[in-house]
Amino acid sequence: MTILDLARGPAFYSAFIVLVAGIVWRTSGLLLMRWRRNLAKPRVPGAVAAVAGGLRAVAMRSVPPHELEKNITFQHFTGYAWHIGWFVTFLFLGAHLPFIRSILGFSWPNLPNGVLLIITAITLGILLTLYIRRLFHPVLRVITDMDDHISVLLTIAPLVTGIAAFAHWSIFGLRYENVLAVHLLSVEALMVWLPFGKIFHCVTGLLTRFRLGATLIRRGVRA
Amino acid sequence: MMEVSTDPERVERRAALSSIAVKVEMSSGNVKPLFHQVRHALQRLLTDGTSTLIDLKAIPLAPGEEERILAELGSGEVCAELNVFGRSEARETAIPGVWVVTHYDGQAAPRTRFIEVTRVPQILCSQTPDMVDGLARLTASLNTDLEQVPDVI
Amino acid sequence: MSYDDSRLGDYLRLRGVSRRGFLKFCAAMTSAMALAPEMLPRVAGALERARRPSVIWMPFQECTGCTESLTRANAPTLERIIFEAISLDYQHTLQAAAGTAAEQARQDAMQANYGQYLLIVDGSIPLGNPAFCTIAGRSSVDLLTEAAKGAKAIIAVGTCAAFGGIPMARPDPTQAVPVSEIIRDRPIVNVSGCPPIPAVIMAVLTHVLTFGELPELDALGRPKVFYGESIHDRCYRRPFYERGQFAESFDDEGARQGWCLFKLGCKGPVTYNACATVKWNDGTSFPIEAGHGCIGCAEPGFWDRGGFYDALSVPHWGTLKELGVAAGAGVALGAAASALAHHKQTVATRREQRAEKDET
Repeated sequence: MTILDLARGPAFYSAFIVLVAGIVWRTSGLLLMRWRRNLAKPRVPGAVAAVAGGLRAVAMRSVPPHELEKNITFQHFTGYAWHIGWFVTFLFLGAHLPFIRSILGFSWPNLPNGVLLIITAITLGILLTLYIRRLFHPVLRVITDMDDHISVLLTIAPLVTGIAAFAHWSIFGLRYENVLAVHLLSVEALMVWLPFGKIFHCVTGLLTRFRLGATLIRRGVRA
Repeated sequence: MMEVSTDPERVERRAALSSIAVKVEMSSGNVKPLFHQVRHALQRLLTDGTSTLIDLKAIPLAPGEEERILAELGSGEVCAELNVFGRSEARETAIPGVWVVTHYDGQAAPRTRFIEVTRVPQILCSQTPDMVDGLARLTASLNTDLEQVPDVI
Repeated sequence: MSYDDSRLGDYLRLRGVSRRGFLKFCAAMTSAMALAPEMLPRVAGALERARRPSVIWMPFQECTGCTESLTRANAPTLERIIFEAISLDYQHTLQAAAGTAAEQARQDAMQANYGQYLLIVDGSIPLGNPAFCTIAGRSSVDLLTEAAKGAKAIIAVGTCAAFGGIPMARPDPTQAVPVSEIIRDRPIVNVSGCPPIPAVIMAVLTHVLTFGELPELDALGRPKVFYGESIHDRCYRRPFYERGQFAESFDDEGARQGWCLFKLGCKGPVTYNACATVKWNDGTSFPIEAGHGCIGCAEPGFWDRGGFYDALSVPHWGTLKELGVAAGAGVALGAAASALAHHKQTVATRREQRAEKDET
């Protein structure tokens, strides 16, 4: 079995199982967590209000608070930019769509490669800039732990290896089929890490914001 | 110029292939260097009589570039057709001393194409072993004739 | 003038091949072997003087496609020159003799040319049961081992002989293996493909005759001159791949416009062969030019790499159903883990409440 067969075969399926198991485990673990019942009288009662409060929190906390704008605007915009770029690359590259179709049963038209190449290059540039900044910034350096390093590198790796595969560059003297295998394996590594590292914020981020808003609206706090 | 086979099956096949509208505009970057190579070779031929052989099939060319090269070389005064294991053609281009030698196989497909910078392509010259065989055949037939003619001379 | 018909040049001349015809063949082979054109006189000289080699062709678990590829020419082609110039002392499909006479002829040729004959093998060799593939009652393992002992070199023609091919495809009922798994002490050149391009087979033979040695080989034992580049690297549809213009189905507008066949399962990017340059049927076309993606037939295990119509980016270890099973397993594991965590939390909470109660 070649490394490409491994990447397209058992490695993918193992990673997929771990990804699904991990997401279900952690998500249901959070949802099934026992909470102390809130015995105080609610200021704004009702499920509808709770849902509205939750949604409001998700929306409001997706933009930086006015007071902090000056400090975090750079991080905010570059963060959104690379997230969008990353997902656009994943969802709209022609070569990815048969993969998506094989999972979902349907797909959609791809973007022209010329456009995507620019988006991917910008995304990678932003990611590398932010990571280097994280390594040298006096505050960020202190609060960055191993989880952050692994999460960032596993986010960057599919982009780098994907560009190498797309452009048919030979990294470390490897031929194309091995570069493609490395790209697939980097994605599988990300799939395995996703439920267990900070990247899991892709699931918990919105859930916790919603929960926070739904909880606080009971007390009459619009979060 | 590239010759197209008149075999009906091939004609039909080529028509079907060319109906696939693949209009690719690419440049391999090898056309100009090739012409310079031909120029240097012609200079060498004039200076010290050295012939040069360039295998066109060995040069990576983008679709349509080979036709462009042949069109730019053009046609000269001499075109010789050979009939040996399929057709071959030795055509002097518009640049005397620069020949295009194309070998077709038994099914009229161009197998190889050389640019020969020479006075006369080697394949056009009669080959010694063939001449020896020919002489033997001629001698044999003359000896037979001489035997048949009555001795009146 | 006397001719020595054991010399290749003289043998051809005796059969009516003129010197010009011979030179034309040498020019085609020089070009096919990717040699510099200046080598043409050397190639011609070497071939002229070469001894007509004895060639033994042993067929095992094969479909005869490789022989067909070589011989299926309607008109004399340049390949036939070399094919007829070799002394093909044993070849099931082409020989007139049969039965014990044929086997005896093979033994005689092997003995007379011991250490000098070329052994061509097509088809894989079954290790499961000797009876799966026999000739004259002898197993193919036996026959191959015997024939290889006196061979100067072995040319494994076709993906079956080179890598196991179709017989080795899952579930591999005969435990098929390639030649290189059985013979370890002879130089082997793998001319893979299902079937290989006839010009490639002939060019390899010509190389051996001209230079007396095998051509430069890649990591899989294939001649680099033909298997050094991928189909993708020389595909004329490459610009469409670069631009992201893909045919989505076999009869859509993209397919008619000749767009890239990646999404229709083309394995061109990971397949190394000369199809895009040398092409098939005397240079007529090749699968991609005919509108069908490359199936990767020159690579090992190409039958077991998922569907021919699944793109390279599609996982191939099973179907969507198996993916669903994997997802189900994930859900089950995850739910079990969280239920366990919930149970532990419940137990811990109760213990804490009991402790509080005891304190008060």
